[in-house]
Amino acid sequence: MNQLLTSLRRAPYQSLAVFLSLFLTLFLSLLLIFCLNFLYGLLGYVESRPQVTIYFQNEASEASILKVKNDLEKSGKVESVKYMSKNDAFSLYKQLNKDNPLLLEMVTPDILPASLEIFAKKPAYLPEIANFLNTVTGKDEVNFQKNIVDKLLSLTSIVRVMSLAFFIFLMGTTIIILITITHFKVALKKEEIELLRLMGATVGYVRKPFMDQALFLGFISSTIVYGIFGGILFFFYPSIQGYLSGITSLFIDIGPYSLTVWPISIEYAGGLYVLLTGFGMGIAALATIFATHKYLAIQRS
Amino acid sequence: MIQFENVTKTYPLGVAALDSVSFAIEQNEFTFLVGTSGAGKTTILNLILGDLYPNSGTVIVDDVDISSKKCNKIENLRKHIGVVFQDFKILHDKDVFENIALGLYIQELTPKKIKEQVREVLSLVGLEGRDRYFPIQLSAGELQRVAIARALCGDRHIILADEPTGNLDPKTTWDIMKIFKKVETRKTIIIATHNTDIVNSMKKRVLVLKKGKLTKDMQKGGYEL
Repeated sequence: MNQLLTSLRRAPYQSLAVFLSLFLTLFLSLLLIFCLNFLYGLLGYVESRPQVTIYFQNEASEASILKVKNDLEKSGKVESVKYMSKNDAFSLYKQLNKDNPLLLEMVTPDILPASLEIFAKKPAYLPEIANFLNTVTGKDEVNFQKNIVDKLLSLTSIVRVMSLAFFIFLMGTTIIILITITHFKVALKKEEIELLRLMGATVGYVRKPFMDQALFLGFISSTIVYGIFGGILFFFYPSIQGYLSGITSLFIDIGPYSLTVWPISIEYAGGLYVLLTGFGMGIAALATIFATHKYLAIQRS
Repeated sequence: MIQFENVTKTYPLGVAALDSVSFAIEQNEFTFLVGTSGAGKTTILNLILGDLYPNSGTVIVDDVDISSKKCNKIENLRKHIGVVFQDFKILHDKDVFENIALGLYIQELTPKKIKEQVREVLSLVGLEGRDRYFPIQLSAGELQRVAIARALCGDRHIILADEPTGNLDPKTTWDIMKIFKKVETRKTIIIATHNTDIVNSMKKRVLVLKKGKLTKDMQKGGYEL
């Protein structure tokens, strides 16, 4: 550790340059990952709401409504369809307004229409389902959250593509910067490296101090980025919570597991830290391997 | 033991450095390599060090054939070889102790053993109490002593010295040679030199090289070209 700190102190500007490059990359990467997960969580939330609701006219028979339900289920594009009869709707209404007898007195089961609440397998199927429902006989109204879902879908897709492109660009730039800085450090130590190789030092031995520095700076920068990002998030927490009024939590699915991304769960926070630290140390180590590779081989001629 | 069998080395642009050279140096033998510039002295040292491949022939060091391109024991072998250069190759950002301990760090000795060995070798080269000096504070002769101390430290039983006194005045040159004499019974020492006085006075084995050929091999010989 002492040797590591001494070598960092002996080349302070190079160490600072490595730290700042890593800091910028890790901060932006964390921001991207957080925003993407947040958007996916939001999309998941919207998808979990009834996406299309069809209300039927009073004349529509239960048999015809159930036939529509059956047709939808057979289409293969629907995750589930929930039938709500006039009586079910009235029961729900009563439950929701149980504290308001005036409202209960004014309403009878005849006023409330029967409806089907449809959840599509993919948001992309929603327009098709809505079009089909518009042709149904006895339809009174079709409620379709098309705009919200469409906007969210396109936003998520744009953010994902842009994030990926930006992320690749960011990572490439950082690795090149780190390679250049490490090259410079290696060049300054060229005489020592040659001497060590002549004295029998292995590639691993010569590379170790550079690698230690890279891993240390990767760890430190990712930890600082994580701390600062956490602070910023804490500062904006009430605003985000206000923006999400009514939405209690957001999830993303990772394989069979569901991860709570808002409010930030311990698992999510821990996962982000491990991911960020691993990424920071990984790119720093990768750049060091590239930068030192050329100088370390024994070039026998 | 170091053994050269019909070793030929030609550099990429067709410059012939060694032409079918054969000799054997026994353990703890003191040998001078003499010859004009370009005769092949440094090439022999580099071949022993495993820094070059011969074009043909065999180089065996400590029973390892290092002339084969398949040889992967170079790093291990180099841990037993100490090298002294004409230009000292002392690291200026490290103090005397750190410079000498360089080879001991590679051998991954404990800090206590490193301290002991550095202290021992500092006393051998006459630099006691200078372990925390930086190279800029030392004279050329002292720098070469540090370089020799570095080469002697650890389990390095072969010492290769390429013109170790080339940059030194006659008195310092003799001081340096006295250090080599102190360890000659424990180490195989090969010194490439142009210094006539030293070779003539020390009466050691002399290998004379001329245009890449070994022209003379004399026990207790003198400087001849």
